[in-house]
Amino acid sequence: MRNSKKAALLVAALLGFSVGAHAADIDTSKRIRVAMVPKLIGLSVFKANEKGAIAAAAKLNINFLYTGPVTASAQGQVDVFNSLIARRFNVITTTSNNPTELAPALRRAMKMGIKVVSYDSDVSPDARDFFIQNTAYPEFGKALVDSVAKYTGPDAKIAILSSTPDATIQNAWIDALKTYMAATYPKMTIVTTQYGQSSPSQSLTAGLNILQANPGVTGIIAPDGAAEVGAAAAVQKLGLTGKVFVTGCSDPDSIRQYVKAGVIKESPLWDEVKEGELVMYVARLAYNNAIQKTGTFTAGDLGTFTANDGVIIFSTPLIFNAENIDQYQF
Amino acid sequence: MKTVDNTVTARRTGSRFPLDGWERSLLALLLIEIIGFCIGIPGFYDGIGSLLGLTQNFIPFGLVALGLSVVILTGGIDLSVGSVAGLGAMVMAELWQGLHLSIWLSALIGVGSGAVLGWINGMIITRLNTEPLIATLATSFIYGSVGTALAGENPPSGFPDSFNALGQGEIANILPYQLILFVVLAIFFSLLMSRSAYGRKIVMVGYNVEAARYSGMRVGRVVCSAYVISGATAALAGIVLASYYSAVRPDMGDILLLTTITMVVLGGVSIFGGEGSIAGVVLAVLVLGVLRQGMLIAGFSDMVTTMVTGAILLAAIAIRNLMSGRGTGLALLFLRLRRLGGGKMPKAAE
Repeated sequence: MRNSKKAALLVAALLGFSVGAHAADIDTSKRIRVAMVPKLIGLSVFKANEKGAIAAAAKLNINFLYTGPVTASAQGQVDVFNSLIARRFNVITTTSNNPTELAPALRRAMKMGIKVVSYDSDVSPDARDFFIQNTAYPEFGKALVDSVAKYTGPDAKIAILSSTPDATIQNAWIDALKTYMAATYPKMTIVTTQYGQSSPSQSLTAGLNILQANPGVTGIIAPDGAAEVGAAAAVQKLGLTGKVFVTGCSDPDSIRQYVKAGVIKESPLWDEVKEGELVMYVARLAYNNAIQKTGTFTAGDLGTFTANDGVIIFSTPLIFNAENIDQYQF
Repeated sequence: MKTVDNTVTARRTGSRFPLDGWERSLLALLLIEIIGFCIGIPGFYDGIGSLLGLTQNFIPFGLVALGLSVVILTGGIDLSVGSVAGLGAMVMAELWQGLHLSIWLSALIGVGSGAVLGWINGMIITRLNTEPLIATLATSFIYGSVGTALAGENPPSGFPDSFNALGQGEIANILPYQLILFVVLAIFFSLLMSRSAYGRKIVMVGYNVEAARYSGMRVGRVVCSAYVISGATAALAGIVLASYYSAVRPDMGDILLLTTITMVVLGGVSIFGGEGSIAGVVLAVLVLGVLRQGMLIAGFSDMVTTMVTGAILLAAIAIRNLMSGRGTGLALLFLRLRRLGGGKMPKAAE
């Protein structure tokens, strides 16, 4: 049953691609070289981006390269950028480990005529041409709070488990969720904010610490891939399933077991595969100079998007729950 | 052929070329590497300016290696160089941002703070009679944490362009400032180690600490000074990195440690101390640095370059041991173990 559904989806997707191939409004006559540099290689969310990017690259006459450092280090990314600059790539797309450290290398690339498109985590605005933001910050903050509020009630004690104190995107989400929480659930309190350094084991330890030090906590918001898994594992380990609810922003593969066990009722994210496709469309359009810093453009069958001073918002949050999570395999 | 006498102080008579066999091999390797990459890797050679510009991506490793060589020559090790680099740069950045000091004055204080951190290492090692390995491992955690605490949520970034030029700029678009800094320091260190009384003391402590002590040398003070030097060069490397990235992060120096130990050992400095030369280290810095850049440009991943670095280190050590004339394989290993067990640790000054 499930397999036939998957097959049907696959067929639909293939049909969609063949339709997309007729996207006549994009000039694909010249073959270009585009690199995608994730924060590190081997992480499944970034693999999902790659999957989408490969599919779109085939349609857009792009010679695609997926490369990055083996650990999440900005310095490793700079090494990769330097090599891409020397090899004269046409477009570099990246999600940054650190907005400032990457800037000099990317500015050097732009000076050499290379287009730079950031996605997921931005770099300094003057070091890239376009930024594809996953979702708007306020919407994602709202989705995070709602994902636990429904189950903990409006006056719950909430803990936050993030990645690192200086993670740009996590801090933006935390600010957004605090704003939304204060406005919508004034009795909800955040009792503690801890950091798991984006490491599964450190996140688990931090999760256990939160639960043991704050027995009143009924919800953990962990807006980081590893943190959500760590927090969910901590809840399960202490036998608090059904008493403490976890949410965050992990990919479906990492949290599937916790969603099915009921530790995570809802968890917002976005469709990483489609985001990867959009990255390639923007790369192609940026190379063609067929896209304005502010204005609208069409990215094949993904639809129409709006750029606002170089920032393109990809989608509204996509909420995973026990019913729909098996439709997403990344 | 190398013999047991140390190559730092021994000035080979009759040879006008100031490099011994090992260093000549490294020099040949470097030339082969550069020529091979220029021919074989598209994009590697793009004018002399870009070739020299490649050094900007690895000179900080070389700066750390210079100071670390001095420590390793004494028979010690400094595992805290990475966190000292991060903390030194952080001190500079915070002084500039928080107290609005001039960036160059802040940089000077940053290097000074590195020297102080190194001095703390040295005092722990000599006064508390601690293994350098353990002492500097411990302080590396402490310095790293202090750096993280100083950094806070928004580590400083966006330094003035005049300062960024140190890491990113060149004279006449050809000669990188980083390279000039490295060459000047390399010559200074080379002269210091091979031509000064101080250099001889460092090597003697590393070669035979008991002999050094009985000859009336203040061993503790000499050892301590090596860590001060290592701390200062590590902080300088951190500051150059800060300029290169125009940003600081407390974990910025973490990548420095293992690669620089590799460079020092590949350069021919014995990890047990008392043997080796700065010229060899400088060549090893260039060999490994150029290799890494070449492989990255050729499109190999970070992982492969790291693997090749490890393989080269092993090969270098093996060749060196086989050719050392002090017996091969196991015999040499036993000799080394005996030396290690024989109280190589400098004790506190009486």
